[in-house]
Order: sequence, then structure tokens, then C-alpha cells
Amino acid sequence: MGVDARHTATVYGRSLWAHFRSVVEYPADFWVMATTGIFWQIMSFGFVTILFQNVNAVGGWGYHEMLMLVGFLAVAAGSPALYWDGIWSIADQVADGGMDYRITRPAPVMPQIATLHIGLQGVGEVPLGAAMFVYGWIGAGVGLGQIPVALLLFACAAVIQVAMYTIANSANFWVKGRVPVFGFFLVEMQNEAMRFPLPVFPMAVRVLLTFAIPLAFASFVPVEILNGRASEWWLLGPPLTAALLAALAVWIFRAGLRSYDSAGH
Amino acid sequence: MTSVDLALARATFLRRVAYKGNWLFTVIVGGAGLLASLALWEHVLADGDLAGYDWHGMRAYLVIGYFAMTLTVGAGDWLIATRILDGLVAIDLTKPIDFQRARAVEFIGGLFATIPGAAVAIGAAAALSGLPAPVSPLAGALTGLSLALTFPLSFGVIYLGVLTCFWTRRYMGVLWARDSIILFLSGMLVPVALFPDWLEVVAWSLPFVHFTTTPSSIYLGRVDTAGSLGLLSLQAAWVIGLWWLGRLVWSRAIRKVTIHGGLRTARLQRLPPLGEGPTHVHSRVSSGLLGHVGLGAVQPGHHLRIPGRPVRLDRLDRRMGLP
Repeated sequence: MGVDARHTATVYGRSLWAHFRSVVEYPADFWVMATTGIFWQIMSFGFVTILFQNVNAVGGWGYHEMLMLVGFLAVAAGSPALYWDGIWSIADQVADGGMDYRITRPAPVMPQIATLHIGLQGVGEVPLGAAMFVYGWIGAGVGLGQIPVALLLFACAAVIQVAMYTIANSANFWVKGRVPVFGFFLVEMQNEAMRFPLPVFPMAVRVLLTFAIPLAFASFVPVEILNGRASEWWLLGPPLTAALLAALAVWIFRAGLRSYDSAGH
Repeated sequence: MTSVDLALARATFLRRVAYKGNWLFTVIVGGAGLLASLALWEHVLADGDLAGYDWHGMRAYLVIGYFAMTLTVGAGDWLIATRILDGLVAIDLTKPIDFQRARAVEFIGGLFATIPGAAVAIGAAAALSGLPAPVSPLAGALTGLSLALTFPLSFGVIYLGVLTCFWTRRYMGVLWARDSIILFLSGMLVPVALFPDWLEVVAWSLPFVHFTTTPSSIYLGRVDTAGSLGLLSLQAAWVIGLWWLGRLVWSRAIRKVTIHGGLRTARLQRLPPLGEGPTHVHSRVSSGLLGHVGLGAVQPGHHLRIPGRPVRLDRLDRRMGLP
């Protein structure tokens, strides 16, 4: 078990490093992607700021709390691009049979796939998202004693994001197509819905986004905990959700691999 | 449209719907973003209006904006980008078809795969929130005209974005940058009327407002008939301007044709006519070897320049060691 874990970690680290060296060979792409990530966050900041120049609260949340929410979401949803972006290539690998190559190598498949690419937009997205979060944190008057809790919640959110991306993209093992539509749907839903506090939405949507597709545990619930809007009991939610989703992601990915029958069938 | 145009449009449509499970999924759930925006603005506007937009008007605004944006971001521009990035554009250079026109008809073909999803989303939004009628029949007709102009406007923006692939090695960053700029400056996220004055001026100086703000302003009667015609003229001017800008950029971009990340460029240049009969075109590949990437026949009068100096195709073949 220990040897397997070490082997997996080594494969993952080496593969990620190899792809990092590969992508930085193209400086134009690096700057385009990094600038895109920065612009995306400036746009998010602009959206919240313009909205709050016209309203006092959204769903009962003030300007700085909203910045915390948008910043937390940016870091949580944007960071996997730097270490798990290759998972978006499952659809392509299944459609063109590239998965054959990964399966026959003497290394675990999931780390190979996950490190097939690095999303350099994360280079711009994560620091600006963090800056927005810190600005909101200070403005909302959250104490420094919450920093360890925040770090735990960020770690849980990262695992939740990675697991959900893996699950959504693994759907393409069964629903063939080069476009990872389930993954895109997940991202679109997160971008559109999770930028706002959940009280904005009808109860059915709140329940859906908290328990059925638990995106709330990757942004809304953690920020509610940090702002003191949710009780301490909610602090159990993100770690439990992260553990459950991670196990589910591994199980679904393996089931997908078992059902994979190469290209052309 | 010629038979070639129809064939290209049909091929693109069939390609877009080839994976039916994937396509059906996008048709059914593609409107989730629209429903989320409707929920937000219903909440925000519960107590009154903002910059003249009440909940009644905002519904129309969001639905019209969603329709236009879906056409833009769901137009299958990846197909064009991939042709440039993997070097297949070298074959396009050898075809007796105008590249821009061919991509435009492919864009139209792709729209037929995108429109069903937009229609389902708008139907769901209308069922859940209702969709207000236009302020007058004339406003409705002019809105239709504005939406019709959105198609070529979308193509103009998409095409220019895709051409940047001649200078970058990936399209993802360009795509994200383009979509985020369009989303924000079109007023899809927040209506342009809510922008600070300086940002509103910036937005109106660019074509993106015509995706959302122009058709919705006409539909809701925020501008009178003369104002509507003025906005439509501006929108049409952007359509024409972007088309010709696309041609200009293309003429520059083909000097950067790079096959499989190779170092050399192939340039089209006017040279004296060659002899009769077709000639095969070859190009360099990244490994430094000479690769036979295109078997498209070049007709007399077509010329290549590889790399930098003009070369007649018969001499090019000899330089490459080909018979």
C-alpha cells in the first residue's frame, strides 16, 4: 500500500513536472493564459463592485462578504488547473483511443491523465482570487484566528473540486464525444450559480447544490462558516464531503476504465 | 450559397451532432446559466428597478442576451482553431475556396446544432418566468433584424479570435479571454447602463454591446425608432468592419503558417504563372524533416514562399529533393 502510494506520487510528480517544462516552452501561450486568468478575476471583481454600487446586499450578504465568496470560489475552482487539468482530456482520450497508451504503461492511469496538461490560467486566477478573498476578509472584519479554519476549508474545497471534475469528465467513458459536456456543465453551473449566496435561489436549487451536486461545500458553506453565518457543526461538512467525493471519483473512474473498449467500437 | 457552401455547412452540422448523447445533453441542460441569472436578477430587482430595468424588462434582456451569447460561444470555433494549430490550414491554402467564406458557412452549419439548445433554454425560461412581449410590433421586427445581424457579428468576433492561433500554440487562453471580454463588455453580466460612465464609453466603443444591449434596448423600447435605426446601422457597420478586418489579419496571418510547431513559415506570394497542370504542395514539419502535409492540387497561378524567399513550386520540389 505504502509502495503503491509512493509510486503513484512519483509518477504524478514527474509527469506534472514534464508537462510544466513542456508548456513553458511556449511563452506566448503562458502569457495569454496567465493574462486570461487575471482578466477573468478582474471581471469578477468588476461585476461585484458594479452590482454593489447599485444595491446594498444580495441575499443578505454585503459587498465584502461577496468578495470573500467570489475570491474563495476563484481559488478553489481555479487551482486544480495547475495540478489536475489533464482530467479534462478524458473525453478526447476515450474518443481517439489514446487511453490504450495510458492503460498499458506500468503506472496508475488517473495520475497519468490528470497531468496531461497544465492550465496556466491558474497562474493568474489563483493569486487574484486570493487577493479578492483577503480584501473581503479584511473588509468583513473576520478575525485572524480563523486562518487555520480557512486553510482547512481551502484544502477540502480543492479536493472537492478535483473529485467533481474527475466524476464529471469520467462520464465520457460512457457518453462518447470529444467535448466533455458534463464537465463544462458543472463549470458553467458553478460559475453562474455559486458566485451568489444560495439564499438568492429557490429552496429546490439550494438543496440540489448542497446535497445532490455538493458545489456549495467548495465555496458557499466555507465562506458562511468563516463569516460566522453557519454554526460550527457545518465545519464537519467540507471534510466529509471531500472524503466521500474523492472515494466516489476513484470508484467511478475505475468503473469507466473497466467499461472502456478502445476507439472505433 | 453555392453547393460547396451547402456541403461545408452540412458537414459541420453533422460533425457537431455526431456524438448524439453529448449533443442532446447540451441541448437539454445548456440553459442552466440563464436560469441562474434569472434567479439572481429576480432577487435583486424584487424591490424596484435599477437604471430603468425592472424585473419585467430584465427577463427580456437576459433571454435576448443569452440567445446571442449562445450563438457566439457555441459556434464550434474549435474546429477552425484546430485546423490552424495542427497545420491542416496548409491544405486549406491549396484549395480554390476562400478560407474566410468557407469558415463562415461552416459557422452557419454549426448554428443549426446550437440553436436547439438555445430554444430549449429560452422555452424553459419563458415557462418559469414568462417572457414579456416587445414594446411594439415595429420594435419586435427591428429586434429580429438586430438578432439577425448578431450572426455575422458573432462570426466576425470568433474568426478574429481564432486567427490569433497563428501566433499562439493553443486556443484555450484566447477562447477564455474572448468569452470573458464579451460576457462583461456586452452587458450580459451586468447591464451596461449600470457601468460607471468611463466604462460605458469603453463598452459602446466596441462591438460587444450589440450582442445584448442593442437588441434588448430596441425590444424594450429604451430607444425610439430613430435610435433603433442608428444602433442597427452601427451594428451593421461592425459586421462589415470585422469582416474586412478578418481579411486583413488573415493576409498577415498566413505568413505565420506553422506546421506541427515547426520553425519555418509558408508565405503566399504573387509570382509569374507556373506551367500547366497541378503541382503538389509540401511543407516543413517540426522534426526538421520535410513532410508531405498537403496533397491538395495547386492550380497554375498559385505560388508559395518557403521560408521567406519566393520559390516557384517546381523549384521548391527540387529543393526538397522531390522528383
